[in-house]
Amino acid sequence: MTRLALERVTFRYPATEAPALLDVSLEVTGGEVVALVGSIGAGASTLLLVAADLAPRVVGGRLEGRVAFDGEGVRGIVLPTPWTQLSGMAFTVWDEVAFGPANLGLARDEITRRVDRAIARLGIEGLVSREPTTLSGGELQRVIIAGILAMQPGLLLLDEPTAELDPIGARSLWELVRALAREGTAILVATSDLDALPAVADRVAWLDRGRLQAIGSADLLGSEALVAASLGPTVANVWHGARLPSPYPVSVAQALQRWEQR
Amino acid sequence: MGATVTSTLRFDRVSFSYGAVQALSDVSFALDSGERVALLGRNGAGKSTLLRLVTGLARPRVGTVWVGDWDTRDATPDRLARRVGSVFQHADQQLFARTLEDDVAFGPRAIGLAPAEVASRVARALAALELGEHVREHPYDLPPALRKLAALAGALALEPALLVLDEPTAGLDRALRERVNRALLERSAAGAAVLVITHDLTFAAESLDRALVLDRGRLARDSSLPGLLGEGAGGGGGGALEALGLLPPPVASLSAALALPGRPIRAADAARALARVAGGESRHLD
Repeated sequence: MTRLALERVTFRYPATEAPALLDVSLEVTGGEVVALVGSIGAGASTLLLVAADLAPRVVGGRLEGRVAFDGEGVRGIVLPTPWTQLSGMAFTVWDEVAFGPANLGLARDEITRRVDRAIARLGIEGLVSREPTTLSGGELQRVIIAGILAMQPGLLLLDEPTAELDPIGARSLWELVRALAREGTAILVATSDLDALPAVADRVAWLDRGRLQAIGSADLLGSEALVAASLGPTVANVWHGARLPSPYPVSVAQALQRWEQR
Repeated sequence: MGATVTSTLRFDRVSFSYGAVQALSDVSFALDSGERVALLGRNGAGKSTLLRLVTGLARPRVGTVWVGDWDTRDATPDRLARRVGSVFQHADQQLFARTLEDDVAFGPRAIGLAPAEVASRVARALAALELGEHVREHPYDLPPALRKLAALAGALALEPALLVLDEPTAGLDRALRERVNRALLERSAAGAAVLVITHDLTFAAESLDRALVLDRGRLARDSSLPGLLGEGAGGGGGGALEALGLLPPPVASLSAALALPGRPIRAADAARALARVAGGESRHLD
């Protein structure tokens, strides 16, 4: 069941001629994780803003083509700058996480249930009484994600969700992303954490200067083209550096399998 | 390290608290000229507090922070800037001049360097990070990732004895991370000590040599990076690494899984080792 469909989408920011997205078509289904990969300026963040209905509606600009959202649940976006996403209306983390569901007009019991569950899923029970502005970068990133999850989005849009997290925190977040997909959430994520993707992404979409160059399974990351574009996971780069034949393994597990079968 | 040698940075039994919250407890270490050191630990371990103590934005309650022969208690942050160049997390929001070139020149001008010296340092810093084509642009016309490099260029242009950086690679793609790597190697070759807070252990493995690991405000480890990361990947010591909030980066895991000789932790070294093993086998088969 398609949750989000972009059909031949071209988008230009205000006062620019060069399109940030050019003729992009992409579908995301409930239960799947689609990862956007690309260099700086490739258009991944822009694509998420378009999918969230923030571009052009909030940021301005011109959109051609069609963006369809099936409307089941809300759309939630986690920006790469979590400190810009605080409500400014909450003096505790608990209230911050409750801000979204409260604005959906839910009953008090339902808000409490959702907020407590989101807080538990992000492992931030120890922060509930803290003032949001006193949190560290990693703590804040978890709080913002909890606030979005508390709205139970049918489509979850994540822009560099692990940028502020320590390695164990990042691993937990990727596990949470898989768990949300299993529960039926459609997830579109832009990330430079290429090493995490083989275990997380059902599909990988490669953006280059606004164009969708290729889309496929996570094994796409081990293709000659992606490695040449500096978008290969570390293991693929090592394989490439050793001049072993492509397609390259994308994870340690895959590398070990190849090595044992040689 | 004889008694006559002054370290570039020395923490001598330093403790610091925010009200009732103890952020650092009894931390001691020293950094010498040319050292490239990672400051590691989970979110909230005290890493950013330690950096604030180095730059003079916070003063130790107990113990002493020495920057060369200056006790930071006696030096204001602007005086410390003659010896310490710093880039904080989210530094892309700290730019303010109208052109990138002016922004990078701000620090060298503020410490009173002559115009010709300012110009040559700015040019060197911009070249080191390959930002030359953007010199006339307004910093906020650049994408956030390049703004982050611009902030780093500002610190490099001070050509300080000590560079302290908080998450310099967050939000950068691999090509930009490689630029940061090259610039840091260049500065340390010129004698600067480099202290980098990072969660990016792949970057740490490629760029840095030594690891300080903070755990709930205490200095839990002070060791070589290959030693620290290798023990996590080789099985056995993995639990200890994970208890510190760390995971072995992919190259270390790959080296351990394939039993590559020397257990390299840098990608180029692993590729060489892998090529040698694979090549040796194919020659053997011929």
